[in-house]
Amino acid sequence: MTEPEAQPLLRFTGHRHLRTRLLLATLTGRAIRISQIRSTSHTHPGLTPTEVSFLRLLDAVTNGSSIEFSMTGTTLVYRPGLITGSSEGLGAIGGVIRHELHKECASRGVSWWIVPLCILSPFSKGNMNVVFHGEGCVTGATPAGDISADTVRTAILPLYRNFGIERNIELRILKRSCAPGPGKSAGGEVQLVFNHQVRLPKTLHLMNPGRVKRIRGVAYAVGVSGSNNARVIEAARGVLNKFVPDTYIFSDVSSAPLVPSNDKNNPGGKKKGAVGFGISLVAESSTHCLYSADMSSPPTGGTPPEDIGKQAAYQLLEVISQGGCVEKSAVETMVCLMAMGSEDVGRLAMGRDVVGSEDVIQLGRDLSEFGGSGWGLRDAGEGRDDLIVSVVGRGVGNVGRKVA
Amino acid sequence: ARKMHGRNRPYRTTELARMMYNLSLTPAEVLKKWRGEEEEEEEENSEDEGDDDFFKKSKAADAAEEEDRYIPLYDYAALEEKWEDEENIEALKSRFAVGHLAGK
Repeated sequence: MTEPEAQPLLRFTGHRHLRTRLLLATLTGRAIRISQIRSTSHTHPGLTPTEVSFLRLLDAVTNGSSIEFSMTGTTLVYRPGLITGSSEGLGAIGGVIRHELHKECASRGVSWWIVPLCILSPFSKGNMNVVFHGEGCVTGATPAGDISADTVRTAILPLYRNFGIERNIELRILKRSCAPGPGKSAGGEVQLVFNHQVRLPKTLHLMNPGRVKRIRGVAYAVGVSGSNNARVIEAARGVLNKFVPDTYIFSDVSSAPLVPSNDKNNPGGKKKGAVGFGISLVAESSTHCLYSADMSSPPTGGTPPEDIGKQAAYQLLEVISQGGCVEKSAVETMVCLMAMGSEDVGRLAMGRDVVGSEDVIQLGRDLSEFGGSGWGLRDAGEGRDDLIVSVVGRGVGNVGRKVA
Repeated sequence: ARKMHGRNRPYRTTELARMMYNLSLTPAEVLKKWRGEEEEEEEENSEDEGDDDFFKKSKAADAAEEEDRYIPLYDYAALEEKWEDEENIEALKSRFAVGHLAGK
């Protein structure tokens, strides 16, 4: 690891992209200081419970991290330690870290924690095995724009295959839960097993998006009638069958998760967590590029399943039409792994609207702040609309696995 | 589809490469410039005329209150219209491997 004094703190402001910056700090071992976190907000200044929970997670999977916040939580100094994974003696019990998400964290889906954790995992010293549970663990898609745990499993984890990271990676959804309404609890449970650690991810050359050949999906109904699934699936297929005959959507019906009722008269009592239904769709192209869409019933209810199915299908078509080899929600994963790879030029085709989004531009800038080189951009040519983004790896890779 | 192509012309790659690391511009400004300023205004107008409460809301929202999201907010009514349009459907079909239905 770098000496804390050797390099000055990198300074950032604002609460946007906070998670990405913490992630990059951990990967590169640079200490960062983030100030003015929601300092203009009168009602909720400073870090949100979800961000604090993410910091706790980082603390649990690393050894020697130090985190300091100011009194109001508007300033944060983070000095990352070594990524150790779920090693014994550092918070893990029986090789598993159990990370509880509290009730206040239910505004974001569990993917908000899982996706960055997956990016850290290949660079961990030991195996990564984390169970997310608790009243704030939402496995479905949320109105805050998080993808469902199903989409992480089917559209994000397979991306690691492109980097030569493919063994013993699994995301188990142990208990499903949908986004709860205000003041309600979720109570899902998800286990991430990521036991393929590498020294350096392979250099990626993904230029040909291919053609979409099949669509898979999962429709989930939690604590509501399974006929909702059938209706969601029928509506989604109605839109997608014009394009791909090979469409298959699984249906998963589960009962509502139970959460502790916190009732004084009945201390051991349980009550039902959030109910609802939703769908996750993933399109796979002939060159194994993945495009996904997610839609779930809002916590307030009142949306017919047909609408959810249709909207998910339209969202999928929109994502496919943006083109490129990666969709927007996967860019972070792909680009971070490319930037951490060997000192070689990796190339990736992206749609114009994918590169031309605020998040991606900011990601490029943040990467260069952390010492990465700038991206090269050029047209894909051959009558295609895409851009080719070339990213030079930093050769940092896995500090814990360096051979002395 | 034709409209989409017309819109893509201002999206010049070299322009973006130049502006990307120009830290005096915020990402939102970079995008606005890249897409072409005038066109952006047009878009805004058309949005204001249309009864899209959706876009107004996201613009009116205080920038400080915005949170990062994976799935962007879509206007599903507009999306439905777009993907019910035969022309758009045909344009997108080239992105699909349509086995035996190809002749249809």
